[in-house]
Amino acid sequence: MSEASAMRGPTTGAWEDLARSASRPGETAAGGESLRQLLCLSVDGSPYAVPIESVREIVRMRKITPIPRVTRRVCGVISLRGEIIQVLDLRLRLGLSAFEATKSSRIVVVQVDDGRVAGLLVDAVQEVLRVGEEAIGAPASSDVQALVEGLCTRGEEFVSLLDLERVLELEDDA
Amino acid sequence: MTRRKVQTRRRSKADREFVSEAEEILEAMRADLADLSDRLAACREPDPELVNSLFRSAHSLKALAGMFRFDPIQGLSHRLEDVLDGLRLGRVPLQPALLALIDETVALFAALLERVGDPAAIEASGAATLELTERIAAAASARPEPQDDFASLDLDPMMLRALTEYEEHRLRENLRRGRHIALVQMAFDITRFEEGLSQLGGAVRENGEVLSTLPSAGDVPDSQIRFALLVATDLDAESLAAHLDLPDAEIRTVRASASPAVPAEPAAGGEQAGAPAALREAESEEAPAQPAFTDLESLKSISDTVRVDIRKLDDLMNLVGELVIQRGAIGDLIARLSSQAGTARLADEFAKVHKSLDRKLRELQSAVLEVRMVPLRQVFEKVSRVVRRLRRDLAKDVELEIRGADTELDKLIVEALVDPLMHVVRNAIDHAIEPPEERRARGKAQSGRIAIDAFQRGSHVVIAVRDDGRGIDTERLRAKAEEQGLVEPGALLSEKETLDLVFAPGLSSRESVTETSGRGVGMDVVRANLVALGGLVDVESTPGRGTTISMTLPITLAIIQSLIVGAREQRFAIPLNAVLETMVVDADAIQVSEGRELLNLRGEPLVLRRLADEFGLQTGAAAERPFVIVVGIGEQRIGLVVDRLEGQQDTVIKPIQGPIQELRGISGATDLGDQDPVLVLDVTALVEDAGRRREAA
Repeated sequence: MSEASAMRGPTTGAWEDLARSASRPGETAAGGESLRQLLCLSVDGSPYAVPIESVREIVRMRKITPIPRVTRRVCGVISLRGEIIQVLDLRLRLGLSAFEATKSSRIVVVQVDDGRVAGLLVDAVQEVLRVGEEAIGAPASSDVQALVEGLCTRGEEFVSLLDLERVLELEDDA
Repeated sequence: MTRRKVQTRRRSKADREFVSEAEEILEAMRADLADLSDRLAACREPDPELVNSLFRSAHSLKALAGMFRFDPIQGLSHRLEDVLDGLRLGRVPLQPALLALIDETVALFAALLERVGDPAAIEASGAATLELTERIAAAASARPEPQDDFASLDLDPMMLRALTEYEEHRLRENLRRGRHIALVQMAFDITRFEEGLSQLGGAVRENGEVLSTLPSAGDVPDSQIRFALLVATDLDAESLAAHLDLPDAEIRTVRASASPAVPAEPAAGGEQAGAPAALREAESEEAPAQPAFTDLESLKSISDTVRVDIRKLDDLMNLVGELVIQRGAIGDLIARLSSQAGTARLADEFAKVHKSLDRKLRELQSAVLEVRMVPLRQVFEKVSRVVRRLRRDLAKDVELEIRGADTELDKLIVEALVDPLMHVVRNAIDHAIEPPEERRARGKAQSGRIAIDAFQRGSHVVIAVRDDGRGIDTERLRAKAEEQGLVEPGALLSEKETLDLVFAPGLSSRESVTETSGRGVGMDVVRANLVALGGLVDVESTPGRGTTISMTLPITLAIIQSLIVGAREQRFAIPLNAVLETMVVDADAIQVSEGRELLNLRGEPLVLRRLADEFGLQTGAAAERPFVIVVGIGEQRIGLVVDRLEGQQDTVIKPIQGPIQELRGISGATDLGDQDPVLVLDVTALVEDAGRRREAA
């Protein structure tokens, strides 16, 4: 399914407009430098971001069917209109405490360039940030797993831009 | 007639149809040409069937182009047909230059096809077409080969005169190769002679080439008719008689095998024409197993066929799958409505509508499945082409026998079957069938036989490849397995377990690596490919007598019936085609032996696997009286212990997308309509794991 039609899915709700406005192509800042649009996520109280072009769909929490034997790395699978997609707990993936569902919890379905798909469990989806490419700085050196590819600012706080290619790389040790 | 309708519709559609059909013919021509030039490069006999097949292709192309009024191709293919006719009659010698010319013609056809619908471009290539047409015409008018002298043959001159030009050519060719020529005569009851004649022809073809079939004079009652088959064979009359084993057939030597005949002397005879119209076309030994269609028939079947991209069928299949799922959801709704007092009557009516919807949906489903089914014939034809080539390359005498070519399978499975099947057949020719001298020494027929049998068994299709070769040397197989550390020296293996070692990675049963097979990829790849399709492969072998490899495949991968079971709090789907039976057992009926749980199933021990333990499911309680689902594929079976049976459902198995690719024991997942996906068990893997664990124990 193409990204565009996924965005039009019935479950996306108000995020539809948000995502559509964010993914307007060819938009540049006044200075002419290219802008990146990042979807901000809240994970265990901290802000993270993923490139909006990698986001296929945002869905509310739903029943996740566990996959035996691999539950520590993948929470399970959901069915997205018949497509079966693995869901990762982003908190666990980032080395934080395990996820607990709340009203604001969402599953962000992402797809990276090589076609790999996954759902990411997050505590909340916040907003779309537009930042110039040059405003994205190097990640903190303390990031041992190298899951963060850059940092940008939102007001006073830093937002960690996730390297989705890396996030979706799980060792096959099943 | 359909054809006419097509023509009066929009031109572009007719063009498209023409192009796709013509491309199919060109594809076949390219394959034949490649085979032919391989043979020429190896300085071998041109295969008469290849030339015949090319000739038929050119003829079909000409007729097709004529039907669609596509003159440039029609003209060119007409010339090509001439030159190929010359080739098959031996009038035109087969030379690299001629093959190159035919190659060039096929390339021009392809170029012309690309321009269909663009008259200007066609016009522009007119000169090239004309030039090539002239060169082909020149090639076709090459001088005829001088006639052999058939006078030395002990054959009725009347019969000689009745031979067609092609038959004469084949006779001459066989004389040159020094084969025995024999005349087989037999009388048949006039009311049923066709059957008898085709039986006789079939039997003879197993031992040689039928050069001509003619009605023959002879002292027979009016109710009978007598036929004479002119046969070229490697056997003398006596052993031919023994092989045919038809006491009523009269066999006479026309010419005993000799050193190749003296090169042809110019002699009388000249062109001869006029064989009886019926029974004219001689069939060569390589003729396909089914009767050749006349060109008219094959064109008709083409025009009645719609070619569809398999992906469109996949889409259609998915849509039907989703409908099936929705139907399940409606069923649930009805159940809820009927349980409430106020809506029970409405639910009744609803249920009726649902039932008829259900019926229609099933029809739709099977119709869509039906569309995806294709006969195995096309795969088998590819195989027989390869066999033809291999038997020359390896200097082995091999005959291929195919049964069940009409057995149908899902198109995708058929595609995926080509490589494994090809591999098994190559293995049989390369490894199993002994060289002719060895076979003679062992008292076997000189030519080896490979029989491919396809038949349906329940929701599976079995394809068995049987050879009458040397069989698998289990001792050597075991020695190699030990050498490679696959088996502990001294470990106790049953005959079957030893044979199964042929599927172990890296074991090729013959020491020398040949070009045909044994390149390190072997039966393990065959097995992996089949297992990936939800199938299985089995081997049986008798030393000195032969080997049978049976491949079992599901008929379709699309919608399957599954048994939904519960283990602790989780549901799983088990494809019903793997389920042999289900039963409730008491806890004390389960025995423990060597760390395994066993159930006495009508006197046979059945190894049990608890699904909850298998998958480490902890939450929720185990049932006191669990269910045992006996699953099996092929010979092996195990019992899966589950807590609940939740019913039977149509399921569309979807791949699981995500970072983890290898999920052992799970082949996919299915959505039953409640947005709560159910994992589908990979029964093959579970059964295999059980076997492996036993070996380890």
